[in-house]
Amino acid sequence: MPSAPPPLTPLRLLTGLARPHAGRLALGSLLFLFAGGASMSGLWIVGRIIDEGFIARDAGAFALWLGLMALAVTVQPTFWVLGFRLFNTADAAGQRAIVRRLTDHLNTAGTGVRGRVSAGELVNLPSEDMRKAAHTVTELGFVANNLAMFLIGSALVWSIHPLLGVIIIAGSGATALVAGPLLKRLQRRQADYRDMIGGLTAQAADIVGGLRVLRGIGGDLLFTDRYREQSTALRDRGYAVANSSSWIHALRHSMPIVFVAVITWVGALLAVDGALTIGGLASAFSFATIFIAVSGNFIISANYLVASWVAAGRLTRFLAIATDVDDDGTLRGGIGELRDPDSGLVVPESGLTVLVTAETAPAAEACERLARHRDSEAVWDGRPLESYALADVRERIMLLTDEDHLFEATLGETLRVGPDAALAAIETACAADVYTGLGGTFDGRVAEGGRNLSGGQRQRLRLARALAAAPQTLLAVEPTSAVDSHTESLIADRVSAARASLSTLVVTASPLWLAHADRVVWMVEGKVHATGSHAELLADPAYRRLASPREFMARKLRQGGETA
Amino acid sequence: MSATDLHERLPIASPAQVRRAFRGLLAADKGPAVQVLIMYTLAAGFSVAIPVLLGRVVDGIGAGWGAHEVNLTCAVILACVAVQFVLSRSGRRAGYRFGERAAARLREDVVARVLGLPLDRVEQAGRGDLGTRTSADVNTVADLLRDNGPSMVTSLIEVVVLYIALFVVDPLLGLVSLLTLPPLLLASRRYLRQANRVFTEQRAAMSEAAETLSASGSGARTVAALAMQEERRAIGHARAETLFERFKRLIRLQVEFFFFLLWLNRLQLVLVVVAAGFWYLEGGMSLGTAIAAITVVVRIANPTNSVMTQLSEFQQGAAALARIAGVGLIEPETRDAVPDGNDLVLDTVTFGYGDGPDVLHGLSLHPRQGERLVVVGPSGAGKSTIARLLAGIDRPRTGTATLGGVPVSDIPVEELRRRVVLVTQEHYVFTATLRENLILAAPDADDARLVAALRRVDAGWAVATGLDTMLGPEHRQLTTAEAQQIALARVVIADPPIVILDEATAGIDPASAGNVEVALAAALEGRTVIAIAHQLQAAASADRIAVVEDGRIAEEGPHAALLAAGGVYAGLWHAWQGD
Repeated sequence: MPSAPPPLTPLRLLTGLARPHAGRLALGSLLFLFAGGASMSGLWIVGRIIDEGFIARDAGAFALWLGLMALAVTVQPTFWVLGFRLFNTADAAGQRAIVRRLTDHLNTAGTGVRGRVSAGELVNLPSEDMRKAAHTVTELGFVANNLAMFLIGSALVWSIHPLLGVIIIAGSGATALVAGPLLKRLQRRQADYRDMIGGLTAQAADIVGGLRVLRGIGGDLLFTDRYREQSTALRDRGYAVANSSSWIHALRHSMPIVFVAVITWVGALLAVDGALTIGGLASAFSFATIFIAVSGNFIISANYLVASWVAAGRLTRFLAIATDVDDDGTLRGGIGELRDPDSGLVVPESGLTVLVTAETAPAAEACERLARHRDSEAVWDGRPLESYALADVRERIMLLTDEDHLFEATLGETLRVGPDAALAAIETACAADVYTGLGGTFDGRVAEGGRNLSGGQRQRLRLARALAAAPQTLLAVEPTSAVDSHTESLIADRVSAARASLSTLVVTASPLWLAHADRVVWMVEGKVHATGSHAELLADPAYRRLASPREFMARKLRQGGETA
Repeated sequence: MSATDLHERLPIASPAQVRRAFRGLLAADKGPAVQVLIMYTLAAGFSVAIPVLLGRVVDGIGAGWGAHEVNLTCAVILACVAVQFVLSRSGRRAGYRFGERAAARLREDVVARVLGLPLDRVEQAGRGDLGTRTSADVNTVADLLRDNGPSMVTSLIEVVVLYIALFVVDPLLGLVSLLTLPPLLLASRRYLRQANRVFTEQRAAMSEAAETLSASGSGARTVAALAMQEERRAIGHARAETLFERFKRLIRLQVEFFFFLLWLNRLQLVLVVVAAGFWYLEGGMSLGTAIAAITVVVRIANPTNSVMTQLSEFQQGAAALARIAGVGLIEPETRDAVPDGNDLVLDTVTFGYGDGPDVLHGLSLHPRQGERLVVVGPSGAGKSTIARLLAGIDRPRTGTATLGGVPVSDIPVEELRRRVVLVTQEHYVFTATLRENLILAAPDADDARLVAALRRVDAGWAVATGLDTMLGPEHRQLTTAEAQQIALARVVIADPPIVILDEATAGIDPASAGNVEVALAAALEGRTVIAIAHQLQAAASADRIAVVEDGRIAEEGPHAALLAAGGVYAGLWHAWQGD
């Protein structure tokens, strides 16, 4: 066995995403560095133009510095967008890599993810979380760009006058010191606020989802009031957030202006003393102005990076979910009787077995064990089912339930066999209306979850798909519960004929299936209670109550008579 | 029942209607909105005073100012900063609060409108569409109102004030600075035209990826059972590739626009520096004016960029608002008929969905009061359509569906549901307590009445778990059978004289389905019950059975009579019994 890779951490995930683009990112950082340098030099050049061009009244120097400025203003946008493109391309590739990885992980983890992640998370992981995690590289690029602007800008201001340099660096530090704690407070409030928005959105979704009930039976006023109450609470919470965030925005906006004022003041006094040129004063003023953006950007980037880290953590946790069905078996070519020691259920090598029970859930669980959708002591052909290769088990034993998913695909792709076999399966499952309803062609599209089909059509299409796969053993749980009696009778007839040489187990109490059963298993509270033919079992009154239409109806008629 | 593919899209508001909706949001809170704008403008004005005063200082130094004059002017600058800070903070705060109020009004309004939708619209609207409008779209517009909106308005006001300041400092330099504005506006118009589509496509690619992956997740067992790993892999990777391509398209578009934006910013500065230098050297301008103008132009870049990059968010906000306002465009129904009694009659009705062919062909049905009428027939025969006509959801094309002598679909919903309740296979459980899930029709019902109703439908589990238990996906998730029992308990509590059950017990275990139906029959004793069924379990105990085939009543009568007649019903019955 190959040595196990080290466990995935958010950091490993993110570096793993960045590694294939190391060259791209290095070049991008360099470009951002140059762009930041060019942007800062432009402001410095403004000072030189004023001093050496304007004040010295030197047209030659004016032209020279202007030429350099023109160069800087052409270089800066060029380098910046080239860097932007490199970082964003790595970002886009990261998105692709995450979606691929999630896809592959879903395939290997299989049913292991069920119950471990909610439906909402499953939507968020490949959208919001994916976007945020992949965005890390771009945000780091912006940090590099701002850092370059900050360092080069500070150095240039320092060169104009050290005192101004000290003020600008101290000013940025002070901004961060004041804004940092405020930002934390804001984030806390915002987190509560976001949660409340989520709650309110869920409430709206609930109202829309149950609209039919609310309109049809009542409760619309109740739910409007509930929603309005929550909405008002959210608004008030929003007011609290507004208190913090207005401080932060004002500070972010005003702190740099305070330093612009301080620099103007100090610079003007220096200029009066002749220690600073007028051009130097104008440059320093412009630098201070631009630092508004830089110090603000650091705070924004920090926010984004925290969000990226959290998203990467969620992705990592999801990618760590292991499969719930181990594939350690090696045996192949299994055939013969299936046995589930837990319930005592036995499915013979061929023929139609009907499992009659008052409680479907434990019967379905027994079928899941026999189809190896959960690990168990089940036995196949005298050997533990777990000792067989999973692929072999999947090929020969198939479970069919109403939980089976219909994916967005053409009808042909859904049935997964050639047209002849597909038509035969459709015929057996009495699903011709699905075929004609989708346009009478195998290219007709089945919507995700079969949403464009009725409940009965979905059920028959799932049955047709299972029949088309023609597994050695088919374990079907209530395969015709949403089908009318007439059609159910036809299906029972056709399925038992089509699969005569194969093995089929149907969990149902329908007399229409029982009429075709080779063998009936009667399960009580999850354990096999008796086995025999339908006729034999009818001798037991408890069984009769469950599976005999006459008894069932007689009881109903009695009840009806009492109430009438 | 095949009405599932007949989603009629909800309307989307036109640009003019969106503008009206937006103006409506502002007008509802006019006073504070004006206050906010005034504060933003004043704050911007005070912050622009700084570079202007800098120019004064420069000229002063040239004219031989000493430290005293400099200190005085700079103290004024600091005072401007302080006033600016106060105004900016209170302006922002008022702006956010305004946004909060507008967002709250918007979402409450749309939810109220959704709850007043006509019944047939409720049935038609794909849950997705209406759901998106009340959640994602509302959140998009709300974010815009309380966050991006205020910051964009501040930036915009700042830009305008900066240009005004520039004109005040020197009108000619002001004109020079405007040279870059037309290409900037043209470029942003071009960008916006494409950006909306590209952003929408990118979002669509992301939600497609999300849908594919969550399908793989919820269908994990099917993937395993049918060995579909390769197919799911191919689809997932194709989605990833689309996502990558769409993102690259967005990058191309942004690179082009951002380059132009950055370049024009700096070109503007160069132009102003050249013009200021020229006029200064010519002697027509003071150094202070030149410097003031240059430093003002340096400042224009940032707010301009932030306005430009936020424009596409505004566009998306407008698109979301168009969908939200669209909900309000649906004509409300006028239902004002007053029924006299509870006699429910379908008289030679024809009906079809949308423009589709007739599903019912001149069908008549008259459930007698207090009678238990079972409607049976194969799938697609039109049984559920009968239920919808009886419940007043749809109007017949010809013929009449009346309750107490007036058309059912003309009776106000509040009145109608006191008389007729329809229970379908779709049982919705609200994310709320068990009690809240039950008292929909009778908000004043006491616990004893609720418990009694739960026992009536054999829901002992619900009594055991307690009325305060939270239900829903993140709390106690119910099985289909349990959800069905809740739906039936609601009917028992509502206690209307007429109940229509459309396959209401289809998902319950065979044994318990019988129990529930029997219990329900007892609970609804004396009520008119119309039960739609595709299986025959429920039929035998009915007072009368109507067999529907191809949108017509093929046979009608009590069980014994229909058996004796040896027609369609007798055939079905024998088939079902396995005879």
